[in-house]
Amino acid sequence: MPDIPSPVAEIAGGPAAQRPVPVTGFRRWLRRFSVFRFVLSLVLLVIGLLMIAPLIWLISQSLVEPISAFLLPPKWIPIPFTLENFRDVVNLIPIGRMFLNSLLVTVISVVGSLTIASLAAYAFSRIPFAGRDRLFILMLTALMVPGQLTIIPIFIMMRKLGLIDHLGSLFLPALINVFAIFFLRQYFNSIPRDLDEAARIDGAGHLRILFQILLPLAGPALSALAILGFEASWNNYFGALIFLSTPERMTLPIGLVSLAAGQGGGPAVVVFAGITLVVVPILVVFLAFQRNFVESVASVGIRG
Amino acid sequence: MAGNTTPSSRSGQLRQRSRLAGWLFVSPAVLLFLIFVLGPFVAAMALSLFSYDLLTPPKFVGFKNFGQLPKDSLLLRSLGNTFLFAFASVVTHLVGGMLLALAVNRGINKVLSYFVRTALFFPFLISWAAVSLLWKYVLDPTFGIFAFYVGKLGITPPLWFTEPRWALPAIIGIDWWHTIGYTFLIMLAGLQTVPSEMIEAARVDGANRVQTFFNVTVPLMTPTLFFASVITFIGAFQIFDPIQIITGGGPNDSTITAVMYLYQTGFQAFQIGYASTIALVIFAVIMLVTLLQFWGSRKWVHNA
Repeated sequence: MPDIPSPVAEIAGGPAAQRPVPVTGFRRWLRRFSVFRFVLSLVLLVIGLLMIAPLIWLISQSLVEPISAFLLPPKWIPIPFTLENFRDVVNLIPIGRMFLNSLLVTVISVVGSLTIASLAAYAFSRIPFAGRDRLFILMLTALMVPGQLTIIPIFIMMRKLGLIDHLGSLFLPALINVFAIFFLRQYFNSIPRDLDEAARIDGAGHLRILFQILLPLAGPALSALAILGFEASWNNYFGALIFLSTPERMTLPIGLVSLAAGQGGGPAVVVFAGITLVVVPILVVFLAFQRNFVESVASVGIRG
Repeated sequence: MAGNTTPSSRSGQLRQRSRLAGWLFVSPAVLLFLIFVLGPFVAAMALSLFSYDLLTPPKFVGFKNFGQLPKDSLLLRSLGNTFLFAFASVVTHLVGGMLLALAVNRGINKVLSYFVRTALFFPFLISWAAVSLLWKYVLDPTFGIFAFYVGKLGITPPLWFTEPRWALPAIIGIDWWHTIGYTFLIMLAGLQTVPSEMIEAARVDGANRVQTFFNVTVPLMTPTLFFASVITFIGAFQIFDPIQIITGGGPNDSTITAVMYLYQTGFQAFQIGYASTIALVIFAVIMLVTLLQFWGSRKWVHNA
């Protein structure tokens, strides 16, 4: 590993250099430190490679010709490569339709729940009204209620409403996101009230204060919540398993499992191609927005 | 809060308008909260007193479902498995996440750090459905890469999903791969809140690296460790997707978890009343353990 001077080395070296430490001892210490860092880097590199090895195997096996798939040792580089497996996926399950379904559910869930949460969080933070704090605490208790507890009555309700095997059964319950209300309220509370006082004097109403002053300032909070909401909705398997049964109405996670189940002992390469079709778009989105992803999750983690 | 106004007619009018606006802003959230959280929560409690199979009208049975709980050996088995899974999950995530965060925070090469952070975090964004299917193949004894490369080292891995002893550990490992990135990020963010001056001061005072870690870094990290342990436990106790997709609870019920059992009871056997009772048990366990963690945190969490 290249030995660029790191802040840690400087910090560690700084005080030591100020004190009357014999040069030879300091040099020896510095050398040991570099060896330590080298070994550390090597270990991290190996861990990183091990983490992505299954994914590389996944993508390479879905691209090789079925005849040379799952050879051992594996063909890590898919040459000659083929798109045949992906065509088979499209022939076996309506994956394009499933992709659209997933997208629809996710967009409605995320945009809808964040809009509703913003309005509520604004009231909880800025508009004093009778019973406000008790209502807030009541809603907070929902954070303790696991989804498995409410899913049974929701299932009965969806059955009565004829929404079984409809995407609505997935996105309607997702519109209420109590954690987002809580998180945004905390965030709004940290924004100085002078800002909206000034706007109010200028004649702005609540909606304008919310949408033109607070929300633009709450960008990091919103993107963090959007990312977590995307993750939860896009990957929702439990709900999809319970509510959806027709292939054309399935979302990707359940569609993928149906592809694997339908295959039986058949060509695993097709299943791999299916998984690849699900994984690669997320990878692209992730690499494009990695900075936001990582910072957002970290900030929610710390604040939450 | 901001609602302290002098009792004049103008402020009374204002307060009334403010009350109306407040309720207007929270009404969508409150409505959805009643329909999809509070209502189903109450309904689940009520359902636990009934015998209901969705086809014939529900029959009131009092506390019979609750009386059945301690006699249900499969339920006890599933709770035992779930506790085991959750405990292993919390320990391996906290230790692994902490060590990885420390290593990455150690001023390693920027490119390597980017690679490691990406490799660790990306699996978290892949749906459980894709992760489960992929790992089923990775761990396959005949054509999976795991058995192949571990075999090269002279170790014959167990038949993960056919040996009852090894199925749950395999799921624990897959879960670690899937979610360690989240814990890692929380730890990394927590580490960055530890002021470097305090580390420096300890080093100047003659503490070595290990002493500094245990006496400065760890105490300052306890709020993060506490948060991560609560979040990890809650998530782990609800483990379902990989169980349903990979093992179906087998072999010999060695991987049946509480939510898996709930799913089988409610959505396969359609014992809606009894499934609601099980859901209440899961809720009670999660709440109890969380409260215990909060109570215990006063003893070990810095500034709790």
